[in-house]
Amino acid sequence: MAAAPAPLAPALEAIALHKNFGPIHAVDGIDMALPPGRIYGLLGPNGSGKTTLIRLLAGLASATSGRARVLGVEMPSRPNLARIGYMTQSDGIYPELSVWENLSFFAALYGQTDRAELMHSLELVELDKRTGTPAQNLSGGMRRRLSMACALAHRPTVIFLDEPTVGVDPALRVQFWDHFHRLAAGGATLLVSSHVMDEADRCDELLFIRDGHVLAQGTPAELRKRAGTDSLETAFLRFAGETPTGSATTARESAASGAAAKETNR
Amino acid sequence: MNPLRVAAVFRRIVAQFRRDPRSLALLFVAPVAIIALLAWVLSSQQSTAARVAVLNESANPAGTAVATQLASALDGQAGIVVDRSVVDDATARQMLKDKKLNLVVILPADFSVQNRKIELLTLGLNPTGEASVIPAVQKALLGAVADSAGAALPTIERATVYGSPDATQLDSLAPVVVGFFAYFFVFILTGISFLRERIGGTLERLLATPVSRAEIVLGYSLGFGFFATLQVAIVMAFVLGRLDIPALGPVPAFAMGLGVRTIGNPLIAYLLVLVLGLGAVSLGIFLSTFARTELQILQFIPIVIVPQGLLGGFFWPIEQLPDLLQPVARILPVTYAIDGLRQVMIAGADLTSGQVLLDLGVLVGIAAFFVVLAAGTIRREVA
Repeated sequence: MAAAPAPLAPALEAIALHKNFGPIHAVDGIDMALPPGRIYGLLGPNGSGKTTLIRLLAGLASATSGRARVLGVEMPSRPNLARIGYMTQSDGIYPELSVWENLSFFAALYGQTDRAELMHSLELVELDKRTGTPAQNLSGGMRRRLSMACALAHRPTVIFLDEPTVGVDPALRVQFWDHFHRLAAGGATLLVSSHVMDEADRCDELLFIRDGHVLAQGTPAELRKRAGTDSLETAFLRFAGETPTGSATTARESAASGAAAKETNR
Repeated sequence: MNPLRVAAVFRRIVAQFRRDPRSLALLFVAPVAIIALLAWVLSSQQSTAARVAVLNESANPAGTAVATQLASALDGQAGIVVDRSVVDDATARQMLKDKKLNLVVILPADFSVQNRKIELLTLGLNPTGEASVIPAVQKALLGAVADSAGAALPTIERATVYGSPDATQLDSLAPVVVGFFAYFFVFILTGISFLRERIGGTLERLLATPVSRAEIVLGYSLGFGFFATLQVAIVMAFVLGRLDIPALGPVPAFAMGLGVRTIGNPLIAYLLVLVLGLGAVSLGIFLSTFARTELQILQFIPIVIVPQGLLGGFFWPIEQLPDLLQPVARILPVTYAIDGLRQVMIAGADLTSGQVLLDLGVLVGIAAFFVVLAAGTIRREVA
């Protein structure tokens, strides 16, 4: 374990971070230093490098060049993983195992074996009445909640959430964000990736990311002001160097098609 | 290495299989059913009497004498019935075609004391199967031809160094089948389990925890080692069950009878199968890297399993293989498991036997090699 970071030392840090997959530059020179205790939104179209950046910070991939640090410790570092929680884009749970078996398995790998603590994390996602249900019999939203409980049961101080609200109904989405804010209030640092702009306002700070670059960073209000628009979609496109015309609706569409075009190019 | 994390992986694998009755059936019921079927086929094959006719085409008195002696000598052989109604070549050939005869011994027209040429005629549709009658016929022939002067036929005693002269094909196959099944099922189940970790996103999640690759491989080995242990115990109890091995308990006697003779220590045999199975766990993890779907895991069967069945000494001794294939057979783990199992179960060798120690040593080496390979591929990055 590394020494405790000094006050306000960045919880998440990237220095000239690059990751190439053959000719593809998934992360192409990212520099950032994010102080702890806040919710950071990672926004960008599909294929912009969000997941690769999270995998580098979570120690699941090693950088082609540059550095990734979490809580002052250079990643990948296996001991440091005990302080990190990672909710993957897919649910990443075992369908034939029950809710309790899934949770206690992942928690045990993190060294968390306290039954009361596990029960508490199931209560937070309202699955405490479902402990014996096999995961394959849960609804999609319940599986997402179980996946989140598995990422948080060991009380991590840094939490990566890769598109946590995809396929989640609006009521549950509100619950998820309330929970994220409680975690941040408790001192945890959250990095939440999304390609849905209307979630962005719930973050303390945003990073617009495209083609492996950070286009802009700031609070939602700051980014709106700098782009001179009320819409985060329009702001994203302005920072991306595109000049949308017409209403916000058209901008939303062009953002979506722009993302699709980028994917086809790859 | 953290024992708690290894235990967590082990418990998870056991829990997953407990929830999967079909895989459990594959592990425990399928080998017993297949061995029972094999036993049934092999034993009923032996009980069918081969129908043989002796056809004397020579006018020579020596020929007649040999033919008469031959017919009575053959009649005395177990499993052979002599059909004395056949008198000419055309009838004999027709009866072969109608499957009313299995073999015709022909003393040709030029047969004499000086020219003891004898023809064995079979149908030829299944040369291997038909050949199974021939040794008994040859035995009778030798006696009859040698003593055509009229002296008493010599009696032929059979003896073997190991096992029993009455040993059936089943006796020599059964111990080996145990090892082969363990290898096959453990490989398939690990390969698919690990592939599902890769494609289901759970491996990504595992690697985001502080668990190490060695702990994952060890946890998997323990989990599948547990099921391999149960499988081998059940299959061995079934195969050896009719023997007086009190520790394994009696197994209901089936009509085809599985009283396979063994004088070896089942624990040493189990040790061989376990080490073989541990190699299969790691091989399954390693090869799951090269598959994207469950179907692609099954595609490894003809590449990994079938050649080992053909070359590993399961059907033919290694020494009888073509020169080019012998070195191939000597790098296959199943070869050493089969040799070790035969040494232990048929020859009664124990851990003081150099051959058994060599087999075990090679199996440990192969397992260790694949453990390293498997651990190396777990973190393979997907672009």
